[in-house]
Amino acid sequence: MTAVFRDAVAAEWMRLRTLRSTYAFLAGAAVVTLLGLLLLALLIRTFDAAPPAERANFETVDPTVVVVPFVMFLVGAVAAASVTGEFATGSIGPALLAVPQRPLLFGAKATVAAGCGLVGGLLSASSTVAGATLLLGGRPAPPHPWPVWTDAVATVAGATLTVTVAAVVALGLGALLRSTAATLVTLGGLVLVAPVVASFLPPVWRLRCGSVLLPNLTAQFTGADGPYLLPPAGAVGVLAGYAVVALVAGAVAFVRRDVG
Amino acid sequence: MIVVTELTKRYGRRTAVDRLSFEVRPGVVTGFLGPNGAGKSTTLRVLLGLHRPTSGSATIGGRRYDRIRRPLRDVGAVLDADAVHPGRTAADHLACLARSNGLGARRVRDVLARVGLTEVAGRRVGGFSLGMRQRLGLAAALLGDPAVLLLDEPVNGLDAAGVRWLRSTLRALAAEGRTVLLSSHLMAEVALTVDHVLVIGRGRLLDSAPVAALRNRGATDVVVRSPRAADLATVLTGLGASVTPGVAGELSVAGLDPAVVGDAAARAAIPVHGLTRRGASLEDVYLELTGTEAEYRNEEGAA
Repeated sequence: MTAVFRDAVAAEWMRLRTLRSTYAFLAGAAVVTLLGLLLLALLIRTFDAAPPAERANFETVDPTVVVVPFVMFLVGAVAAASVTGEFATGSIGPALLAVPQRPLLFGAKATVAAGCGLVGGLLSASSTVAGATLLLGGRPAPPHPWPVWTDAVATVAGATLTVTVAAVVALGLGALLRSTAATLVTLGGLVLVAPVVASFLPPVWRLRCGSVLLPNLTAQFTGADGPYLLPPAGAVGVLAGYAVVALVAGAVAFVRRDVG
Repeated sequence: MIVVTELTKRYGRRTAVDRLSFEVRPGVVTGFLGPNGAGKSTTLRVLLGLHRPTSGSATIGGRRYDRIRRPLRDVGAVLDADAVHPGRTAADHLACLARSNGLGARRVRDVLARVGLTEVAGRRVGGFSLGMRQRLGLAAALLGDPAVLLLDEPVNGLDAAGVRWLRSTLRALAAEGRTVLLSSHLMAEVALTVDHVLVIGRGRLLDSAPVAALRNRGATDVVVRSPRAADLATVLTGLGASVTPGVAGELSVAGLDPAVVGDAAARAAIPVHGLTRRGASLEDVYLELTGTEAEYRNEEGAA
């Protein structure tokens, strides 16, 4: 890593943490995590109140399934804003005057976006899993999603990875669309709406489409017998595909088009 | 040294810059003048790598801008004073730019002091007036202590004191041997600031000349006032001048020096109450140059 690139990354990191919006989105991610745990607490109360015969019918309750898509959206919004916010305010101009090598500047932004996704995803997933483990205590599986603690590690790793890729995808979308509103609508469609739409498809298509959707990949890393099709390696491949397509498309748009 | 060679930039079918060539030398303040839509901002954007040229080249110190590593140390520029994230403080805005070029926090404090924004360094830029943003823009341009400064319409939004401050700052920067290029659509704004002007219209270079030469270019005449204007007119016409009578005993004399006019009046014993050389203003020369090239003109101007 050259000194010029290192300085560009440091500057992008500074840009991110000197804006209030960054903290607003991250606070949103924290709230979503807490809401996920609240939801779990309510389910546990129902479970505890149920007679033993009904308890056998309870399914596994993994709160990351609910929490992670929203965290993907909120952390992705931070990453997207590092491009769209600059185009909206024109501050991309001074940024490019300081670092006119566009591939290098885009690389710095992608590095910071990925870092933000990694840290945001890890914090949110690990606190969700830790909170859930505490709340579930000695209850059996199901509803306990991680009877062995190593299962929980796989879930945290998978969630962290998907949030990281979501941040990178958001950055690429931002560079392509340049508009905050358009980017957030597309990102929201991708991580929040598409899984719902897919669930209305006929069964075969529901499986095929649902399996490659970004938020549904998390469950497929762990190799747990979930409702989807991909083996862990396939899920990683699809995830890498998302990152590569978004980065290449974003980089080409960022490098080629006139600014200001 | 800024060198623009045969630069052309087209947006779709519209040609913004048309085979433009010029050079900007160090040590002087060069004005980049032209009416709205003449291609000034486009030229600066291409020069700074924000827009790609359709053909031709633009270099600073012999290099394309986007090939310069840590360019803030070589070139400082303000294209749009409003192009700042309103949610960031002035100090943070500068610190981000400084960090990307490996410049320390000390430079941020220095440039804030130089442009007089130290007291508001911790305030968010969203609350700044346009004048304050112009100062902040100049602070960003000065961060790396560059040898070349490019400013697009830097006088916009400055009050009288700000204009005077900018003028003395730019003159001081040029006196330090820097290359300074500033654009404006108004000659009056920059007439006292620049040494040399480049005039463009519809993307083409119309003129490149020192301000002093431009000043002398306009038609000049001598205005003489006398209680016996008619007698004096006869005398001066006899000397080969073309004389136009004005109001209140004024004569406009073309083709003679003030000294010759005064001597002739003395010899004829005609009293003279006033005698001055009248030059065309820089503004007049500029308007004449750009008059036919302005993108949009009002009917009065076209008449």
